[in-house]
Amino acid sequence: MKFEKPFLFLSALIASFMIASGVTTVSKPSNYSESYPVVVCPPTLKGLTSQISISSRKVQYQRLENRSSKTVPFKALRFPVTKDSLVISAQGTTPLIWQSRAGSWAGGTLCSGPSSAAWFVGGTANVTTRGRLILVNSGLSDAIVDIQSYTENAKQPIKSVNLKSKSFMQFSIDTLAPGDKALAVHVVPRSGRVNAFMIDEQGAGLKALGGDFVNSYPSAAKEVVIPAIPNQLPKKGEKASSLHTLRILTPGDVNTTFTLEVLSADGSFVPVGMSSRSIDAGVVSEFSFKPKISASAFAVRITSPEPIVASISSSVTLSGRKDFVWSTATPPLTPMSIAVTGLSPLIAFAGDSIAVKVQTKLINGKTISAVVKGSDIATWRVPENARSITIISSSKGVFAGALIASSNGYGFIPIQNGSALTRVEVPNSNIRVLNP
Amino acid sequence: MAITDRHLVTAIVVTHDGETWLPAVVAALASQTRPADQIVAVDTASIDSSTKLIKAARIALIAADRDCGFGDAVALAVAKMPKHIEGNSEWIWLIHDDCAPTPTALEKLLEAIDDRPQVAMVGPKLLGWHDRTHILEAGISIAGNGARWTGLETDEYDQGQHDGIHDVLSVSTAGALIRRDIFEELGGFDSNLSLFRDDIDFGWRARVAGHGVIATTAAVAHHAQASASERRSVDVNGALLHRPLLLDRRNAAYVLLANSSWWMIPWLSIQLLASAMVRSIGYLLAKLPGYAADELLAVGTLIIQPAEIVRARKFRKTKRLVSSRVISSYIPPRWSQIRLSAARIAEVIRAKVIPVTESSSVSVLNSLEEEDLLVPTQRFQISKLLKNPAIFGFLSLAIITLIQSRNRFGALNGGALVASPSGARDLWGIYFESWHQVGMGSSAASPAWLAVVALASTLFLGKTPLLITIFFLAAPLLIMWSGHSFLRKLSNNQFITIPASFLYALSPVVLASVNSGRLATLVALIIAPQIPMILSDWKQVETNNWRRIYALTILLAVLTSFTLITTLASLGVIGFAIFSDYNEKLEKPLFLARLYKRLTLLIFPFVLVAPYSFEALIRPSRFLAEPGLNLAGGSTALVLSGNPGGAGSLPWWTVSPILLLLIIALFSSSNARSFAQVGISFLSAAVLFSSLSITVHGNSAGTRTWVGTFLVGATLASVAAGVVILDRLRTVLIASNIHYRHILAGLLLIITSLYSISSVGWSITAGADSPVQSNMKGVMPAFLTTEADTKTLVLREVGAENSKSIQYYISRGEDISLGEPDVAPGQVRAIEIAAQELIDGSGINSSQVFSSYGIKYVFVKNPFSRNVIRTIDGLGGFARTSATSAGVVWRVTGVTGRIIFTAKDGTRSVLEAGEVGARTMVYGPGSITLTETFDRSWQVLQNGYRLDRAKDEQSLPQFQVKEAGEISLIHDGTIRRAWLSLQLIAWTLAIILAAPAGRRKREISVKELA
Repeated sequence: MKFEKPFLFLSALIASFMIASGVTTVSKPSNYSESYPVVVCPPTLKGLTSQISISSRKVQYQRLENRSSKTVPFKALRFPVTKDSLVISAQGTTPLIWQSRAGSWAGGTLCSGPSSAAWFVGGTANVTTRGRLILVNSGLSDAIVDIQSYTENAKQPIKSVNLKSKSFMQFSIDTLAPGDKALAVHVVPRSGRVNAFMIDEQGAGLKALGGDFVNSYPSAAKEVVIPAIPNQLPKKGEKASSLHTLRILTPGDVNTTFTLEVLSADGSFVPVGMSSRSIDAGVVSEFSFKPKISASAFAVRITSPEPIVASISSSVTLSGRKDFVWSTATPPLTPMSIAVTGLSPLIAFAGDSIAVKVQTKLINGKTISAVVKGSDIATWRVPENARSITIISSSKGVFAGALIASSNGYGFIPIQNGSALTRVEVPNSNIRVLNP
Repeated sequence: MAITDRHLVTAIVVTHDGETWLPAVVAALASQTRPADQIVAVDTASIDSSTKLIKAARIALIAADRDCGFGDAVALAVAKMPKHIEGNSEWIWLIHDDCAPTPTALEKLLEAIDDRPQVAMVGPKLLGWHDRTHILEAGISIAGNGARWTGLETDEYDQGQHDGIHDVLSVSTAGALIRRDIFEELGGFDSNLSLFRDDIDFGWRARVAGHGVIATTAAVAHHAQASASERRSVDVNGALLHRPLLLDRRNAAYVLLANSSWWMIPWLSIQLLASAMVRSIGYLLAKLPGYAADELLAVGTLIIQPAEIVRARKFRKTKRLVSSRVISSYIPPRWSQIRLSAARIAEVIRAKVIPVTESSSVSVLNSLEEEDLLVPTQRFQISKLLKNPAIFGFLSLAIITLIQSRNRFGALNGGALVASPSGARDLWGIYFESWHQVGMGSSAASPAWLAVVALASTLFLGKTPLLITIFFLAAPLLIMWSGHSFLRKLSNNQFITIPASFLYALSPVVLASVNSGRLATLVALIIAPQIPMILSDWKQVETNNWRRIYALTILLAVLTSFTLITTLASLGVIGFAIFSDYNEKLEKPLFLARLYKRLTLLIFPFVLVAPYSFEALIRPSRFLAEPGLNLAGGSTALVLSGNPGGAGSLPWWTVSPILLLLIIALFSSSNARSFAQVGISFLSAAVLFSSLSITVHGNSAGTRTWVGTFLVGATLASVAAGVVILDRLRTVLIASNIHYRHILAGLLLIITSLYSISSVGWSITAGADSPVQSNMKGVMPAFLTTEADTKTLVLREVGAENSKSIQYYISRGEDISLGEPDVAPGQVRAIEIAAQELIDGSGINSSQVFSSYGIKYVFVKNPFSRNVIRTIDGLGGFARTSATSAGVVWRVTGVTGRIIFTAKDGTRSVLEAGEVGARTMVYGPGSITLTETFDRSWQVLQNGYRLDRAKDEQSLPQFQVKEAGEISLIHDGTIRRAWLSLQLIAWTLAIILAAPAGRRKREISVKELA
């Protein structure tokens, strides 16, 4: 055959190509390891009592100041903490800590992983304050933390704090801006594995005026949603309903305006005076409002042309005692799990179109599912015998927060991941890094 | 004829097997215008008809022994002469049996001495015997290295440029006229100089005795130089093994040592020995081992008999009247010797490169001088120059290259190319040293390409960065030149070969190699076209001589030194050829003749780059590696189109015509089919290997193989096939009606044009920003480079914008430089785990691991994930020491360093350490841990004894110290030195075998000689 050889060579080329395409042994340029970072719960300060809700008795923990790396299981679903901050290997289900001062106040926060920055919009530095800012360094190296405070008067100088490894530090928030009333604090760890918590506790002389955890939010945004604000309805014969105070700050250099929209079961509306309201840059502003709504919880959506941080303080009364609750912004809802043993929070979902599938794991090990649907706001009460709730799925643009009532007071907890699954790239050894 | 002068001249003819020249000599003596008063012949037992000829000429004959030297023969004749009468002007005229004076020679010699009473010796101008315009001598001297110095150029044409009477150190005894009284007074010629250099010695002695020596060019003699040119046997006493060169060199040394001032003797001895060695190397290279031995034996025979020299010096001392310095003006200055040698070498090179072609000369009568005046003068026109396709092609490529390289004017690195060390010395250092301070340290053999680059750097005054920059700038032009030199063998049409070589220089593999810093592929692109030129007939390889085979071996060895892919390709090509030979059922001798030559081409290059190549046998991934960093090549589909892919390669849409050309050529009926078959084979290999990933050169991740070197073969074959097709296509297309050939030609033309436009467009725009750039900022911050001998774990996010990955390596304080990736070790498993845990935050013990391996710092180069930085901050054992725009640095806590001493009580301390070896003190018993990779060559000596060596828990070398005292840490490089010696011997042998063989003088034709 005239073209026998050419066809032979051509066939060899085609065969090579097919073999090469079939047996490519090239490995992926990089591999990843996935894990949940350990979470850190705030320490229990003097005079307070704490209880941590855990999803499983096998969850391992370690006391912060324990120098060894050894961890032990909780062996309980609700764990009382006397003093230490705990480092918990929560494996995806965020523990929740509930603290209270008997007869004065109660509040909760999520035990969370180390943060790159935290905004605390809450607390006061005037004479009534007994508030504390707590910094926890769960790392094995010393840490440096920058604290930047803002008040109704001015932006304060940055305060840098050194924290020894595996230790925590607490200091009165009135030292951040002595005498000023409205406080917003930006905590930025420069190095180290740092968590920050804030407790706002107030009193006048011997009289307790209530208290609460001020939950943090990682960054300023142009749209802020605070999904669960307690609205204590007046009892029969009483006129006044709860007073809500919006505390807002634009941390940039440009003055801005904001519009606050109330999302409630009665519909969504902008309260009088809350539309295109101007605020000065770098100065904390406060605005009080009393929306007339029939539900016990509502949400607000605040929009602004410039990034802002905001929270709402709501006054409540419990057994004749005054208390307040700091409702803070939350990120959009994503699939997650939170341990709620011993608590029965009311969860408020806010959003234009709400469709959230929630699964509840009960103490007896059974699971029940529920689908929460609605528009603007929808609430769902977690069963009393629940040990954890899991957000299976959520429609887009839904935010959630939990309101908890106890004998000592009310509290707000953002529904968000305390420790997100982190995907860390497995590094390769390659001398290429030493070449520009 | 009546003799009118006052001189009495006796001609002494010494004969020794001179029948060839003797008739002419006798005739010349007989035809002198001023005849000699007396002629005496001394025959040293000639075995030819010399005596008969002498007797027939009626010349008085004195018989002497066959081993009688020239001087002794003359002495015999002088002894037989009547006694010299005081006051007489009596002269002896020495005539060799191969020296024919012209008729006026004696007359002119006597004229020259008439008014020069101080002259004791006068010689004629010696011209060639056969070429009578070739001037041999007009006075002689001796150089400091013993060389006979005439001051003339090789084959100098005599046109009277040296005419006149010159004061000289000496003249040749051939035709020399010597005053008899002085001859006798000085004791005649030295009997130790039986032949050669007796003339210089006598002239020297005459000079220091206060006499004059002159050469007069008015007197002419023709000399055949029969003994020196080995036209007859040298049988004189002392001529060991009848070797004239040995005798000449020995006598030269004797003359210098016997006559020079005593304080010059040490320097002269060194000079003689050194020059003998250099010359013997030269002779070895020219494959003349006999001459090489002569050079060394000559000096040797003299050194073992110092008494001879002592006696000779004593004798000369008695005759010396003036200072030895009088001869210094006749010794050629060193500069003249160098200049003349350089001119000779240049002439040899010129003759090789631009051989003189015999052109027909135009008769003056044919020139139209009058017409010239009427024709306007032809002026130089650039447009005409540009119409020359070669000039236009090279100029266009130069412009494209310059635009494309606008970011490459300076020290280059990036891509696979790492920064060059400042000097060739550093490269030699990496090449020679047995231990490399890279990563955790490596004793791997350095690749031979380092030596090639270091050698090439010498041409650039040792500036390696300059060499690399110029190489990358000039590479496309060199590739085009090399390609064209091959393609023009396939077609005489420059309008085909120039565009084809232009396309070869702009092929995807060239652009990708330049842009991604692939040294080996570029070298392959330049060398590949030369291979088929050296080995013209691969099928009938036995028709190529061995010298050609060895020349190709060297070329392949150079290529193999850059990449062992050459060995794989050779294995394929040669294996296939041997298989074909076997299938053809050739006769055994022919089969073996082919087999030997083919196997030489396969095995010898591999051996020449040993031990690097031998190490590849146990690390096979090295067979697919190229110099520098191990960067990924492209996908299989891209490779199929002739594009090697990877960083800096042409985008997929610039489809090159390589594959199409190969397929078309495969079905061609011309020679193009052979090229296509070769091209398709290389392409198939490239496609197959591109599917593999390798882990090599300090990269622990599997990386897709770069197959550029295979694609060089495919590209060159494709271009060659295209040239063959196009060379005859035009006539075929014109002669035939439109059919598939026209369509294919059109298609090919369109694709080629599109490729040319798109590849040039891309390369001068986006291509200019490819990875290889100049003056890039270093990785390591300055403050980490100041602390000597420190290991730093460097973490970086590297890769393209969308596919960044975290990578790390251990730095020794500086960025890597050329050659280091090739010897970089893989990572220790414990460090790999510690680094991984450092990133994911679980590495509580990472700092301890780093500390135990001597890692002192962790450096995260910006930009880097803030989360990871926080994670490291949170881990124990890392104290942040700085955070700058360059990155963040942590100090690993704990006692760590290169040499750690652990005392009996467990206390750890760091000992002072040098670059590789160290000398330091220990203050008690304990153990010394060296935080380098374990190697048998690590030794610690104390009090002259080696300390026990073992592996510690981390597999690091550990030595047990029993007492306090000074210790020395060394890495024993004996094995490396042995390999280098073997390599040097192998290369020398290869060069000698490939070099053109020199000819012994007796093999040079008479015509060439004279």
